Amino acid sequence: MPNYIRNGLRSGFVFGIVIIFLILIGFTRVANELLAPLVKGTSQLPMGFILFMALLGLWAGASAAKRSPVLMGMPDTYQKWNAIISGLIAGIIGGAFVGLFIFVLGSIQTKGMDMRVYLAQLSPDAIKMLTLGRVAWAGAFSIWLIFVITGIAGGLLALFSDSFKLGERMSSSWKNMSAGIGDSAIAKTVNQNAVVRYILYGIFIIILLILPSFLGKYWNYTLGTIGIYIIMGLGINIIIGMAGLLNLGYVAFFAVGAYTVGLLTAPAPQGLHWNFWIGLLVAMVMAAFVGWLLGIPVLRLRGDYLAIVTLGFGEMIRVLVRSKALSSIFGGPQGVRDIAGPMIFGQRFTEREYLYLIVAVIIFTVFITIRLQNSHLGRAWGAMREDQTVAQAMGINIFRYKLLAFALGAAIGGLAGVMFASRNQYTGPEDHTLMVSVNVLALVIVGGMGSIPGIILGSFVLKGLPELLRQIEDYRLLVFGGLLVVMMIVKPEGLWPSKRRQLEMSDVDLPPETDALQVLEEQSSDQKLRGES
Amino acid sequence: MAETSTSEGRKKSLSTYQIAQIIIGVLFITYLTWRLYTVLIVEGVYGPDTWLRFAITGLVIGGVYAVIAIGYTLVYGILFMINFAHGEIMMLGAFAGYFVFEALNVVIIDPINKVTFSNAYPVLAIILAFLTGMIVSSVTAVTLERIAYRPLRTAPRLVPLISAVGASIFLQNLAQLMFSPQQRTYINPQALERGAGWTVIVNGNNVVIPYTGAFTFIVSIILMVGLYLLVKRTRMGRAMRAVAENKQTAALMGIDVDGVISQTFAISGILAGAAGVLWGIHNGVVNHYVGFIPGIKAFTAAVLGGIGNIPGAMVGGLFLGIIESVGPAILGIDFQLKDVIAFSILILVLIFRPSGILGEVLSEEKV
Repeated sequence: MPNYIRNGLRSGFVFGIVIIFLILIGFTRVANELLAPLVKGTSQLPMGFILFMALLGLWAGASAAKRSPVLMGMPDTYQKWNAIISGLIAGIIGGAFVGLFIFVLGSIQTKGMDMRVYLAQLSPDAIKMLTLGRVAWAGAFSIWLIFVITGIAGGLLALFSDSFKLGERMSSSWKNMSAGIGDSAIAKTVNQNAVVRYILYGIFIIILLILPSFLGKYWNYTLGTIGIYIIMGLGINIIIGMAGLLNLGYVAFFAVGAYTVGLLTAPAPQGLHWNFWIGLLVAMVMAAFVGWLLGIPVLRLRGDYLAIVTLGFGEMIRVLVRSKALSSIFGGPQGVRDIAGPMIFGQRFTEREYLYLIVAVIIFTVFITIRLQNSHLGRAWGAMREDQTVAQAMGINIFRYKLLAFALGAAIGGLAGVMFASRNQYTGPEDHTLMVSVNVLALVIVGGMGSIPGIILGSFVLKGLPELLRQIEDYRLLVFGGLLVVMMIVKPEGLWPSKRRQLEMSDVDLPPETDALQVLEEQSSDQKLRGES
Repeated sequence: MAETSTSEGRKKSLSTYQIAQIIIGVLFITYLTWRLYTVLIVEGVYGPDTWLRFAITGLVIGGVYAVIAIGYTLVYGILFMINFAHGEIMMLGAFAGYFVFEALNVVIIDPINKVTFSNAYPVLAIILAFLTGMIVSSVTAVTLERIAYRPLRTAPRLVPLISAVGASIFLQNLAQLMFSPQQRTYINPQALERGAGWTVIVNGNNVVIPYTGAFTFIVSIILMVGLYLLVKRTRMGRAMRAVAENKQTAALMGIDVDGVISQTFAISGILAGAAGVLWGIHNGVVNHYVGFIPGIKAFTAAVLGGIGNIPGAMVGGLFLGIIESVGPAILGIDFQLKDVIAFSILILVLIFRPSGILGEVLSEEKV
């Protein structure tokens, strides 16, 4: 089979399946609403949906044609019209998938069955939109036709963009983008020049100081949440980024902080009414202690085991605080209410003052992180992360340093928990789900492990962006999950990687706890495998 | 390796770790003895019939855990990565089975007595449900491997793990959006109705052995035996073991490593799909979240048994299931805390025997 036909078939198949999934998760409806303002029509047709389908068809055609040989520099054997054929085939196949699916849906709909019982998004209105408000076969055929036309158009587009070198420009700009902020000249200056870096930090802080006064309560709250995640990101960075210990249960430390301050300052269930600041200190010490305690048994474990034990520990803490049997201690499923906060002139902090407090805590943690990075501790952790055996041979007491990393990271996690609980004046078991751990881990990884600006950027991307995109809120976690996968494939070192990490990621990394011989073996075999492929 | 060198380095006194080990061990044994004494002898709340009930529940749930755990262990044995999305693959299988039963329940064979297809031909209906569940799960697993794991084969270990976490979140939310968060109830064929079962009289009380429970247990045993034979006796199994041992040598021997990895994912998906349908038939409830807890538990089971080791996963699964159902009763604590027991056991096993219950077998084979 000629290459261009195969490209068309493959592209049509993939797009067909993906569009069926988009219909099933109801995204077509959202797209219709989003795109409707662009095509103001007086007709009864769902123009937004049609536009969305047309765009997807265009994309399918273009992606099929783009890979055809004529556009890859082999004009001798293939003709230019092959690209159009690719697009046409992609359109026909993709359209056939979607059209058939819509036809089936429409036919079931006319039989009077409510499909929402099984597939939540397929309400009668949604199906009416899919069939363009016509009979099933007519609607399906129209959609198919749209695909065929836009498929050809996509092929043509690919041809034209080729003749104008559009594709190259776009791909180079895409490459620049995917090379990331970390590679850009600005970031390089920032990474290399300490003065520039501190000036930037200064500007950033000043903006943070002025900004809250201009923002409403909602945005102050949101920024505060992002700030709390930055604190947690910095805390987990000590454990994962510096010491190289994979922790999937970071929420446990967060929960310990939140619950300690809650139980010490709230009227119920303990009724201690302590001062907030004392509660904060005790909470941090408590979190560090729990981290240390957890660390003793588990820090001997290999990386993956450590991950799963910490994950289990995080779930365990949640189950414990939720359980009814222990509700006299932890407040049970209702959680702890009326947690005290810091006072100013006899008044509780408002959202804005909390934001200031959180920013202050962030600056404090950033300071600690920077100091740690350059201390003998940070260097010991680095050595340990790179090669445990060698680090041990250099006289580093691995166990003690690991414990220290756990305890320090835990204390910062506890601090974040305190901020969270006292700002909300409430904490309950559902604040401490696994998703918190995953979010924190994800923001560190998306931002760039071991890089402070990366973590801040990651928090804004992962926690702030969804706030801006309220319309697609239902799809937030879906996109988030997909983003993690794509990120790992395209740019595993993060958006704004630290210099060291970038170097590490470009080379073969080694799992911790492997002995030297095995390491050598694996390295050579890995290199050979890579050379082979 | 690292462990021995530290302890050798400080021969004079016990290391912190060893002291901690001893303290934890003593505390645990004291607590266990005290609780056992109080619950069994002083209080004596539960008669033998209750213990039998707990054991039955444990075996059934343990069988399902074991089947899921094998999926983890197979993938871990070959790629050294935790397929975090395995629980979600199982969930999709459970949904597929649900839809098959639902569809077959609509088809009416005998209009007069209103006999539906799944009641007229229960065996066929069950086989169809299992087949669909297995196909859906295994296609998902293979696709997942192609998209999310294959490009990361040479990446550092953290990278595929994060990718797997992302895939897990993605699949879970995909299911939530497609099927809505509402819980759905499996419509079993009448022959396998939930709640019904054989009654055994123990100690003057009725103990019900549910049909679904017996079915689940038998099917999971069949699956385990089948898998064991597949891995040990067939060409494909031999290829899988070779790849697990050493990818490069296997490739030199003419084994298509990528193909074998795909096959491994397909098999782990098949097992997960079957486990999902079993879960649905026995527990009756499916929603998008149904794969998460069994997934984590099954991973725990795989670690308990010694990860990468197939008999270990089976033993670990059954062990975990029984511990979970009997544990709260033995310790005389709230049944809500069974997850805590499961994870505590995991931590204890890892402290005293980091290679898992059957871990040694693996290390011998590997050397």
